[in-house]
Amino acid sequence: MEPQRLDAIQRWMMSVITHPQGIEEGISETTAQREFAITPGQIEDLILPSESCSSFQRLSVYNNAYFARLIECLTSEFPTVKRIVGDDSFAAFVVAYLRQSPPGSYTLGDLGRGFAASLRATRPPRKPDNPGPDWADFLIDLATLERLYADVFDGPGEERLPRLSAESLRLVPPHQWPHVRFEFAPSFQLARFQFPVQETISQIRSGEIASIPDPIETFLIVHRRDYIVRRIPVNAIQYRLLEELHSGKPLAEAMGASMEEMRDDELVSPVELQNWFYRWTAAGLFIGVSTDEDH
Amino acid sequence: MNLSRLGLPHLGLGVGLRSPHYPYLLQHQPDVDWFEIISENYLDSQGRPRAVLEQIADRYPVVMHGVSLSIGSCDDLNFDYLTKLKSLARFVNARWVSDHLCWTGIAGHNSHDLLPVPLTEETLRHVTERVKTVQDVLERPLVLENPSTYVTFACATMPEWEFLGRLTEETGCGLLLDVNNVYVSSINHDFDPVEYIESVPHDRIVQVHLAGHTNMGTHCIDTHDGPVIDPVWELYKLTHDRTGGVSTLLEWDAQIPEFPVVHQEVLKARRYVGEIDVDFESDENNSVPETSSGRILIPQPAVFVSAEVE
Repeated sequence: MEPQRLDAIQRWMMSVITHPQGIEEGISETTAQREFAITPGQIEDLILPSESCSSFQRLSVYNNAYFARLIECLTSEFPTVKRIVGDDSFAAFVVAYLRQSPPGSYTLGDLGRGFAASLRATRPPRKPDNPGPDWADFLIDLATLERLYADVFDGPGEERLPRLSAESLRLVPPHQWPHVRFEFAPSFQLARFQFPVQETISQIRSGEIASIPDPIETFLIVHRRDYIVRRIPVNAIQYRLLEELHSGKPLAEAMGASMEEMRDDELVSPVELQNWFYRWTAAGLFIGVSTDEDH
Repeated sequence: MNLSRLGLPHLGLGVGLRSPHYPYLLQHQPDVDWFEIISENYLDSQGRPRAVLEQIADRYPVVMHGVSLSIGSCDDLNFDYLTKLKSLARFVNARWVSDHLCWTGIAGHNSHDLLPVPLTEETLRHVTERVKTVQDVLERPLVLENPSTYVTFACATMPEWEFLGRLTEETGCGLLLDVNNVYVSSINHDFDPVEYIESVPHDRIVQVHLAGHTNMGTHCIDTHDGPVIDPVWELYKLTHDRTGGVSTLLEWDAQIPEFPVVHQEVLKARRYVGEIDVDFESDENNSVPETSSGRILIPQPAVFVSAEVE
C-alpha cells in the first residue's frame, strides 16, 4: 500500500463516516476509492481493530455519531417539524439535507439555515386535482418559522437601545405625520405563511396534539424583547403597511402603497390606525421616528 | 492566587456553562470557582447567550473551550474564526483558550465531531506549524485537550502521550488533560491509562476535564451524560499528585440535571486531593452508566443553544 498521507486519510475518513448507508458502502464509494482503493475487507490496512471491536465497528462509531449528532441538533431547532412528521421521516429529511448541503460552518447555529429551502427543493409534485397549499407547504412553513425563531433569538436585538415611547409619538406635530419614518427594532421580522403555523407550534409546545390545519394566509411579526422571541399576528393590511414602512418609506407613502388595492369596506379609520401604532410602539417594534425635517 | 502551568492560575473547581442553567445561575449566583464556555456558542451570538455570558464573566473567571478549531485538519486555518475567538477572549477576559487535538472536517465539510489524527511524524509537523500560527494570532498559548477517540490508524508511529509531549515542546502550548477521555480511549485502544498519565508532561497541564461516559461493553462512548465513575476519579487523583493540582472542570452535556447536582459532582474532587473530607448525600449514581436505555448515545460535542420563544 502507498504511504498514507494525512490529507488523503482525512478525505477518505470524512467520505466514509458521512455515508448514509454506513461504513461498508462508504469505503466502496468513488470519493473514498479516489483516496485509497481498498475493499471493505482491506480496512485494517488503514484502521486497526481493537481487542474487542473490529475496524468496522470502531469506524461505525463516527458514522453513527455524525448523523445522530446533527439530527439531535436539528431536532432542537425544528421540534415541531419533527413532531408532525415523526422521528423516522424527520431523520430521512435531515439525512437528505445533509447530503445536499453538508455542514461547513464552525457553529452548529448555522446548521439549520438551509433546512426549509431543502424541504422546498425536494418537495413532491403537487397533485393536479389540488393546486392549493398542501402538507409539504405546511412543513416548509413550519421549518421557515422555526428557523426564524432561531435567527431572531440569537441575532441583533434592541435590548441595549432606547425604545420609542408612546409619548414620543404624541410629540410629533400633526402636520408632520405624513412624513414620519419609523426606525424599526433590529430584531423585527415580517413573515407570511400559507398556514397558521404559529398556532401549530404553540399547540405542540403546550403539549396539545396538533394536526395539519386548513390553509389560510397568515401574517406574523416576529421580534425579540428582553431576549425572548415574541410573535404578533397581523392582518394583510397591517403586513403590507409594516412592509412598506420597514423599507424606509414615510408614513403617507407607505399607507398609499399598502392600501391602494383596498376595497371601501377595508378602509382603516384614523383612530384604528393610531391604535395600531400605539400597540406596536408598546410592543417595542420601533426604536425611533424621524421626519424629513430631521434629515 | 497560586500561579502554575504556563503561568496560568489554578482556578479551582469549575463547571461547564450550559444554557439550561442560565436562569438558576442568574437568580442564585452560586459560589462556583469558575466557568468554562463552549466558544462557538457565543462567537456570533447577539442575543441571550451573549448577554448571560457577559453577566457570568463579570462575576466569575471564564475559560474558553472550542470545538471547531480543527487544528489537525489539512484545510486552511479559518482566520475569520480565529479573529472572532480572539475578540471573544478579550470580551470575557478569558483566562485561557482551549480546543482539541483533532480535526473536525476537510474540504470545507465540518463533521462537528472531534476526529482523531493519525499519530505520525507528518501529523506532528503539520499540527506544530498550525499551533504556532494560532498562538501568533491569539497572542497567547493555546491549550489542547486529548479527545476521546474510537479508532487508531495503521500508520501511527507513536502513542498519544508522546505526540502531546513533543507538541508542547515544539510549540509551548499547554495541555487540557481530560482524564475521562484518557479512560475512554484506554478502553477503546487497549492501553494503560496510568501509563498515559505518567507519560504526559505534567508541567504543561493547565487544566483537567472530568465527565461521565457510557460503557457499551466492548467500548466506551464519551457521552457526558452522568457522574464521573470511580476509575476516572482515581486517574484524577494520580493527575493531581503528579501536577500538584490544576484547574478542574466538570462537563455534563446530555440529560443535564439541575445545576446544584452538577456542581456537587465536581466538588467531589476535593476528596481526591486531600483538601477536605466532604460528605455527599448519595453516591448511588457513581456506577458505570447502563449501556442503553433506548436513547441514541452521542459522543460529545453536541452542544446547541435552542431559541426561547414566548
